[in-house]
Amino acid sequence: MRTDVMRLDVRLRRRGLVGYTVGMGAYAVLVVALYPTFKGDTGLDAITSGNSSLSALLGVSGPLTSPDGWMNANIYANFLPLVVLLMTIGYGASAVAGQDEDGVLGLTAALPLGRVSLAVQKILALVVIATPVAAVTMLAAVAGRRSDIDLATGPLVAATAAVIGLGIVFGLLALLVGALSSSRTTALGVTSAVAALSYVISALAPVVHWVHAVRWLSPFYWALGGEPLTRGIGAAATWTLVLCIGGLASACVWAVDRMDVR
Amino acid sequence: MAPGGRASSSATSVRTDDLTKRFGTRRGVEGVTIEVRDGEVFGFLGPNGAGKSTTIRLLMGLQRPSRGVARVLGLDPVADGAAVRRDVGYLPGELALFPRLTGRETLERLGGARDLRDTGWRDSLIERFGAEIDRPVRALSKGNRQKIGLVQAFMHRPRLLILDEPTSGLDPLLQEEFSRLIQEVSADGVTVFLSSHDLDEVQRLASTVAIIREGHVVAVDTVDGLRRTAPQVIELRFAHPPRTRFADLPGVSVTAQGERDVTLGVTGPVSAVLRAAVSDDVTGITARPVDLEELFLRYYDPLTEEKDHAH
Repeated sequence: MRTDVMRLDVRLRRRGLVGYTVGMGAYAVLVVALYPTFKGDTGLDAITSGNSSLSALLGVSGPLTSPDGWMNANIYANFLPLVVLLMTIGYGASAVAGQDEDGVLGLTAALPLGRVSLAVQKILALVVIATPVAAVTMLAAVAGRRSDIDLATGPLVAATAAVIGLGIVFGLLALLVGALSSSRTTALGVTSAVAALSYVISALAPVVHWVHAVRWLSPFYWALGGEPLTRGIGAAATWTLVLCIGGLASACVWAVDRMDVR
Repeated sequence: MAPGGRASSSATSVRTDDLTKRFGTRRGVEGVTIEVRDGEVFGFLGPNGAGKSTTIRLLMGLQRPSRGVARVLGLDPVADGAAVRRDVGYLPGELALFPRLTGRETLERLGGARDLRDTGWRDSLIERFGAEIDRPVRALSKGNRQKIGLVQAFMHRPRLLILDEPTSGLDPLLQEEFSRLIQEVSADGVTVFLSSHDLDEVQRLASTVAIIREGHVVAVDTVDGLRRTAPQVIELRFAHPPRTRFADLPGVSVTAQGERDVTLGVTGPVSAVLRAAVSDDVTGITARPVDLEELFLRYYDPLTEEKDHAH
């Protein structure tokens, strides 16, 4: 299997990839380092205890001052997924539609490789781009064991995989919309709107009855709604994300194969 | 040069039959039927927006035809795209490169994807064109980017070159260098499909020319053949306004009409024109073959054709 196009696309986004990874790593280290200062602050817990709406919006599970509650509220429930999605949706919209608009997709599509290979290499590049930010955050959390962030390894790995999976889902959606529309703006707009809606559904599902009824529509719910940092990720959620990624990836291959390249 | 190829060989490098591409309501190309023989330099001539680039993208398998057939090196460029493109060197029209990469990295990555190991020929092309390869592409002028585009098209010694407006942005000296390169690779048996809106360039390089206008191929002939079938231009002057309606005569089109003079384009025998002119007391006559420039303008200009049809 050739990887020339995958490596080229990762190279083209190297600067952003390094920047986001270093930035997120620094932020995660700061959050971990601040934990000992706040872990005894019962006033923090008072903010969310008995207020399920606020807890839902912050993505807090249990008390804010528990290790998993602290990491969840500051990183895993919102900030980390946001950064990963920024990267994957950005790449997904650029990988096909953006490069076509810029006129450079014709250069790679004119190489001696089939469209299926081109699409698969773009998807692999997306996986590569989705990984480092979540991985460096996980390393920071592991290092946090020195400052009382004693997260269990299983749930930490599960939460990291869930965030990466979530990023891949929305990156694939952006790639698909881009391949169908040949428009980077459409890909970014549609995917960002779907992602925002998905986040809101997942966040409000515990407190709003009718939103709760449609929570299964939200990839955020499947990835993060089950509090993976505390409980790991269940089989149903895992399979849903895997099938979602498989379905979207197949659709991407089909759309790239039939696409007219400039 | 010994072009290495894996796609099957055939007597024609490119053949299309009724090749049609529509983009919704927007016109692409309609019913393009052409044949490019092995080793030939084929000029594809037409004004901007005529359908040259669309035809080329269909040949490269970048787009799927709405109707019709294309065969490149004997293969279907969509179904067998990878095999076709292995043996083709392609220069896109309005070339865009990856802005952040240097020319060197661009060539190395594109060459790597083609398993290009012997870089001697590539390096000689870089030197020959004076390509600036150590600066990011975004800092380069259009001409310098075009040089990198040309190097990547030629560097893997393809059997077939498909070049869309190859000299766009090149200064006259480099255009000359490009012409020499085409002649060299052509002498080595490489087939060249070259699009241009520049008649001089095509006339200098191509043995066969297709002219495309508004998505339709309106003429395919050798350059010599086009000259032979070109109409004569006859200018007549009279002592008084002529009574003859010259446009009604067979094979005649009126290109200019004054009160006592008329300019005609005449295809075929001129005897009927001369007889009518004599009966109208012609006082002066000038006849010359149409030059190629006029011929191409005739194909380009939709008004000329409408005038021809009207008569």
